[in-house]
Amino acid sequence: MNPSASVTSPRQGSAAVGVSVEGLSKDFSGFPVLRGISLTVNPGEIFVLMGPSGSGKSVLLKHVVGLERPSAGRVLVDGHDAADPATRGRVRMALVFQAGALFNSMTVYDNLALYPREHRLGTEAAIRDKVMRSLQMLSLENAAGKVPAELSGGMRKRVAIARALVMEPQLMLYDEPTSELDPVMSATISEVIATLREQYHVTSIVVSHDRDLALGIADRVGILMGGRLVSLGPPADLRAPSDPRVADFLNPSIDLRNPRFRRLAG
Amino acid sequence: MQNAQQTARVGLFFLLGMALIWVTFETLSGGKILRDKGYQIVAGFDTLKELKEGDDVRMAGVKIGEVAATRLAGRRAEALLRIDTHQVIKEDASAVIITNGLIGTAYVSIDLGSDRAGSLKPGAEIRTRNTPDINEVMAQIGDLGKKLEGALQGISGAFAGDSKSPGLVQRIDQLVTDNRENLSRTTANLQLITDKVNRGEGTLGRLINDPKLHDELVAGVADLRSGAAQAKSFLASAQSLVDEVKSGRGTLGTLVFDQKAGDDLKASLASLRSVSDKISRGEGTLGKLLGDETLLRDMRSLLRKADRALDGMGDSGPLTAVGVVANGLF
Amino acid sequence: MAAETSNPPEENESILTSAPRQAVRPFLRVLEGIGSCLRLLLEAARHIPTLPRQFGRFIEQCYLIGYTTLPIVAILSFFIGSVLALQSGYAAANIGPKQFIGLLVGLSMARELGPVMAAVLLAGRVGSAIAAELASMKVYQEIDALETMNIPPARMLVLPRLAAVLAMMPVLTIMSDLVGWFGGAIVAKYTHFISIEPASYFATMRQYMDFGDVLNGLVKAEIFGFAVVLVCCNIGLNTRGGPREIGASVTRAVVTSLILILVLDYFVTKALM
Repeated sequence: MNPSASVTSPRQGSAAVGVSVEGLSKDFSGFPVLRGISLTVNPGEIFVLMGPSGSGKSVLLKHVVGLERPSAGRVLVDGHDAADPATRGRVRMALVFQAGALFNSMTVYDNLALYPREHRLGTEAAIRDKVMRSLQMLSLENAAGKVPAELSGGMRKRVAIARALVMEPQLMLYDEPTSELDPVMSATISEVIATLREQYHVTSIVVSHDRDLALGIADRVGILMGGRLVSLGPPADLRAPSDPRVADFLNPSIDLRNPRFRRLAG
Repeated sequence: MQNAQQTARVGLFFLLGMALIWVTFETLSGGKILRDKGYQIVAGFDTLKELKEGDDVRMAGVKIGEVAATRLAGRRAEALLRIDTHQVIKEDASAVIITNGLIGTAYVSIDLGSDRAGSLKPGAEIRTRNTPDINEVMAQIGDLGKKLEGALQGISGAFAGDSKSPGLVQRIDQLVTDNRENLSRTTANLQLITDKVNRGEGTLGRLINDPKLHDELVAGVADLRSGAAQAKSFLASAQSLVDEVKSGRGTLGTLVFDQKAGDDLKASLASLRSVSDKISRGEGTLGKLLGDETLLRDMRSLLRKADRALDGMGDSGPLTAVGVVANGLF
Repeated sequence: MAAETSNPPEENESILTSAPRQAVRPFLRVLEGIGSCLRLLLEAARHIPTLPRQFGRFIEQCYLIGYTTLPIVAILSFFIGSVLALQSGYAAANIGPKQFIGLLVGLSMARELGPVMAAVLLAGRVGSAIAAELASMKVYQEIDALETMNIPPARMLVLPRLAAVLAMMPVLTIMSDLVGWFGGAIVAKYTHFISIEPASYFATMRQYMDFGDVLNGLVKAEIFGFAVVLVCCNIGLNTRGGPREIGASVTRAVVTSLILILVLDYFVTKALM
């Protein structure tokens, strides 16, 4: 979909990249998780992907970073097939894992410094500078010497975002960045995501249940249900969804007289 | 940081391990790397037997190097010997492969050589001796046995002869048989002569009465005696030969160990006995004349000639001829 | 037509997945294991030029594989050597050539038990740790994180371990050999029905053993150690599922390593003869 005009070295240029998903299907040992999804994320856009648990949002993200191979269809990142390991060398992508996926054997500082060290991006002093700036952005300066086991869930999430920031990515993927966080911290994370786009013109794909986040920072919102993309449009659309399932998902009414688990059973 | 300490520990650990490996190597393989100096000499052998690379080279039992390599060079096998630098090998020293015990270790033994000889230069070839190993010795003993058997067969053939040519003993036997008549006649003649002599008749009777003739006779007897003495000395040497055989020396000695040869010998001895039996029948008469039984068979042709000689006792010539005849007979 | 017949093959495949595939599954898994190990090896080999940069990790792994494993290797080897001397002494008591106990212990330790014991302990102590660490990294998505960072796990996690095991196995093995020899010597001297002097114990060893015997053992140990680390890395990295799978992976890694050591032992011994 996205005609790949920019074959320039991604490391130098921080030009945002587009993502196009073409007829993506995925099944795990016969069980379909994604069924023919097609969508396009424009460069510099914040795309929020919503949907109930188990709808395949995280799997879709993994396809974008090439951790999963599609059963059918393909995912193009800046025109390169995401399933090709070489794509990771061409396009800097960072995935903020839901559980953080911090390296438990390393301190927070080393977690952040790993990427620039491994790819030899600057001297140890330059790396230190960059790491400390990232930590400051997420108010984590005091956690630099700690190991992940000593951190709270919210801090781990922030460290994971900080680690992604150090990579100076062209494409940021967030898997539930605000879950398990208090409302203030959730708002902070949302602000960070938006600020990154402003400052670095990063393309962002955010998987979240967080309605506030979606309404606050998203350029477009896609809703995934049962492996299918059931809704795609600007956040304004969410205020008046046409699909009843989407409406129920976004504004679930708590009806104690007729609970859902009884409705399903009946 | 602790990192530095860890690096140091790992480094120390690694060095310790390498040192231990090196020590093991030195101990078990004699440190070829360190001492691979010295000089090499070549030793050619028909066979290297159990000699292999790494075996010792010893001089008078002291290790002075080892076998650096073994190879085939044309029609012989060569061992390259690495000799410690300070060890001198004389030019006339020679090398021998010693195989040692049942486990089959071998080493090259180099003798000291002579004092005055020059020393071998590196790369020179050392003289070698091939020592037979046990298998070779066995094979040679087998050969020797075969040769001995052949020799013994020759000997027994000489004694016993075959259908065409009669053996020595048979010949003697035949001789005595053929001349029995002559012998008894000679004896009778002798009796007659004695009688005549007693009665003072005939030539001999006159001889006794005539001093001049007596002197001549005495000289004739002396001649006869010298002839007999010569015969005796021959027999003595024959006796010594027999003694040698008896004591087991020489090729004949082994006769005793060979069943077949022994049988042959027994047969030969049987023939001999029949001869002596025949002789002993004439003993009484002959004994009076000579007093030596062992000479009986040797005297039979002498007597024949003596008979003829006595017939013409008148002239002195024939009597001296007896000595000549006795000489010729033996 | 191609569009029409696109469904039947799927059904065929599902049939294949059922009965006949069930029977060959164990073989497939073995082949899968061998294949993925080789792929991992090639992948790691591709990154050999980065090894100097990873010196720190190499040293860290050397420390874990070599330094911390030494005590248990030494203790075990000591007793293995002792038992060898004791048993062969018992056997030789009625025959006579007791000084050959030295040779027997020496050869057994150097050619067979030194390398095998070092490798078995490596599998138990280091292999399990590697499998556990990598499995937990996989389960907690650390491996995925590395991949998104374009840092191949083969380079950062596997290569330093393989290099470290190659550097440390000879050290562990020679220690095992020597400690075993001395253990045998001590038992040979102080056991009443053997009681041979260490001098004659070591004399037979020196006379009839070659460094080649020790070298043979060192080569074997290298092969065992390398195989154990490679297999444990591979099993760890291929863990799927939740935290419970970490334990399963560790068990699988150790069992596979032990089987591999003994199977390799036969073939390597034969090849080196």
